[in-house]
Amino acid sequence: MSETRVVPRFALEEAPIERLEAASLPLPLPLPLVPPPAAGAGTLGLAASGAALLVLGLAVLVVGNFVAAQFDRAAWLGWLTLGIATAGFGLIAASIGGELRGLLGLRRVDHLRLALADPARARGAALAWLDTLAEGAALRPALAAAEAPEAIAALLRAGPVAALRAQSDALGRAAALQVFAAAAAVPSPALDGLLVAWRGARLVRQVAALHGLRPGTLGTLALLRRVALAAAGVVATDLALDAATRAVLSNPLLRHVAGEVAGAGVAARRMVVLARVTAAACSPLQ
Amino acid sequence: MLIPRRTLRVGVTGLARAGKTVLLTSIAGNLLAAGAGLPTLPALAARLGGRSLRIRLAPAGADALPRFDHAAHLAALAADPPHWPARTDAVSLLAFDLDVGRATPGLPPRRLRLELLDYPGEWLLDLPMLAQDFAAWSRAALHRLEPYAEAAGFLGFVRGLPVAAPRDEVLAATGHHLYRAALRRLRDDRGLAMLQPGRFLMPAPGGAPPWLGFFPCAGSGPLAGLLRERFDRYCAEVRHSLAAPVFGGIDRLVVLADLLSALHAGAEPFADAAAALGAVAGALRWRRRLPFLPAWLPFVPGIARVAYVASKADHVAERQRGNLAALVSRLTEVPRADTAADTDTAAVAVAAVRCTEDVVWTLEGHPVSAVRGRVAGAARAGRSYPGEVPDRPPDAAFWAHPFLALPDFEPMRLPLGGRAGVPHIGVDTLLDFLVGDRL
Repeated sequence: MSETRVVPRFALEEAPIERLEAASLPLPLPLPLVPPPAAGAGTLGLAASGAALLVLGLAVLVVGNFVAAQFDRAAWLGWLTLGIATAGFGLIAASIGGELRGLLGLRRVDHLRLALADPARARGAALAWLDTLAEGAALRPALAAAEAPEAIAALLRAGPVAALRAQSDALGRAAALQVFAAAAAVPSPALDGLLVAWRGARLVRQVAALHGLRPGTLGTLALLRRVALAAAGVVATDLALDAATRAVLSNPLLRHVAGEVAGAGVAARRMVVLARVTAAACSPLQ
Repeated sequence: MLIPRRTLRVGVTGLARAGKTVLLTSIAGNLLAAGAGLPTLPALAARLGGRSLRIRLAPAGADALPRFDHAAHLAALAADPPHWPARTDAVSLLAFDLDVGRATPGLPPRRLRLELLDYPGEWLLDLPMLAQDFAAWSRAALHRLEPYAEAAGFLGFVRGLPVAAPRDEVLAATGHHLYRAALRRLRDDRGLAMLQPGRFLMPAPGGAPPWLGFFPCAGSGPLAGLLRERFDRYCAEVRHSLAAPVFGGIDRLVVLADLLSALHAGAEPFADAAAALGAVAGALRWRRRLPFLPAWLPFVPGIARVAYVASKADHVAERQRGNLAALVSRLTEVPRADTAADTDTAAVAVAAVRCTEDVVWTLEGHPVSAVRGRVAGAARAGRSYPGEVPDRPPDAAFWAHPFLALPDFEPMRLPLGGRAGVPHIGVDTLLDFLVGDRL
């Protein structure tokens, strides 16, 4: 970066701000840089695969026989049945493709992390990642001038990663408010749990989508597992959220309601935690 | 089973206003949080590789040294609005008991007492004096004072002394007071660091003995003889104190310097700080353990590891922190901590309490790496791009452009009032260098 010609300066921003929070202190998610060893298929996995193959394979055979029988009855009837069968199986294949793409998206995060840690590949990987982000173009000149991998990582951290983290926080706060409000309204504790689980899964998908991932059902499950592992590695996750929860519950009315509804505040905190942990799990920089 | 506890004493010292108290506070907060299982010191956690680590404050017992009041300093940093810890003028000790788990299951934990001694930075500058005689020291000290108006009164007194001035107590006391006052003004008003003897600025506990009453003098008459005798006694006392049980026995040493402020202050103050750092590094090179002895060997006197630390590194963006470490490295001629893990000296850039976050700031069409923090008293964010940090002692061309003053940023919010650690940069690397081989 050619900064020698730039005159040093200091400038005050207009809007007042709160004290800065250390984003990296509570969430240094210890995700491994090396890819985990390929696990062999478990017995349950083998059984599920076999069952899926039987159901799908036998369904194909049955439908094939049925289509052939329809052609025997009348050509137009055969073509119509074939069209319906093709459309049906096509939709199933599309959904399987979507799931696989979602799973591969998670793999791409791991590969990107490895590439960003490699001095020879860091710049190319960073530029490729920027291409997938809406506001990535603004950083390209700075990135092109940066040489050391640490400088590249610092630029990414200061630019898109910070922006993504802020957007994830906003999603987390929105979810926290919804969960809080709903928990106050829902009469049954059992429904509370269901509500939090549903909103949590949706939040994970939202934050993943923000990071350019589009996880399907299996992808979401894999992401949830990854998020759970990441959160488990961080003993202090909850500790970081005092300030975030304070911000969410800064309204006096909400604070009053929080006092009335035991557990709602905890659920709200969990949403903010979940957003941050998911953002860290989806980010190519740790 | 009674497991013996070995002691590792780390001296923490530094040039004036380098942030010694803040560093000790941050180390205390982060070590205690790490002992509670919080991930505040990633480099130490990596060193442990999954082994357990319990840390608690060591009881003071019947120690002679007062304890470092880390709780009060942490509370000051965590307060809203926060306060920087006040400058400390007393020697103090911070001690922890560490139980480090073993890789082999079933073995008892390794027990270590980690003592951090707040060693007065001023005293460190006495070390180079040990290699000089009175005449050489006087010449150098007088030469250093010449450019400064604050020392004009003392210089006038010394130059006006008759060549054959008698061994007069009043003359010696007058010169001593004038010299001492000049040193104080140069430290407080000019921010100079290379001021000797250190005990003139930071007296040892107890009353002032007569041999402390000397000053640099170029003459060779009876008064100069008296001053020489006192100088020699002073050096002998310094040598003795290095081996004394209270201040001696330092196994590792941290030398702090605020080079960013020195860069802002200009060529002269920077040269002064560089000279002080270089002199300390030169003196320490001779006071270290014999190099052929392995570092793990216990009961060998001497300083096994020295870390030279550039403080307030969060006031420049990440890509410039490398330059800051390289600058310290060049000034002290030691390798950087991140490039030479197994050496016994290292140069590190550290922010004991982080105040800023890195931002990319577009200035005059160029994106520059800058920092952003909340300005103390203003409740607004300030963006700072102070200029390029040189990776070697700056040449004349560097001083043609200003290096901005470090803004007065507030420390980041301390999670759980400091009980969950203190946001920092590089404190874990520093601790890993200092104690990693004993974990």
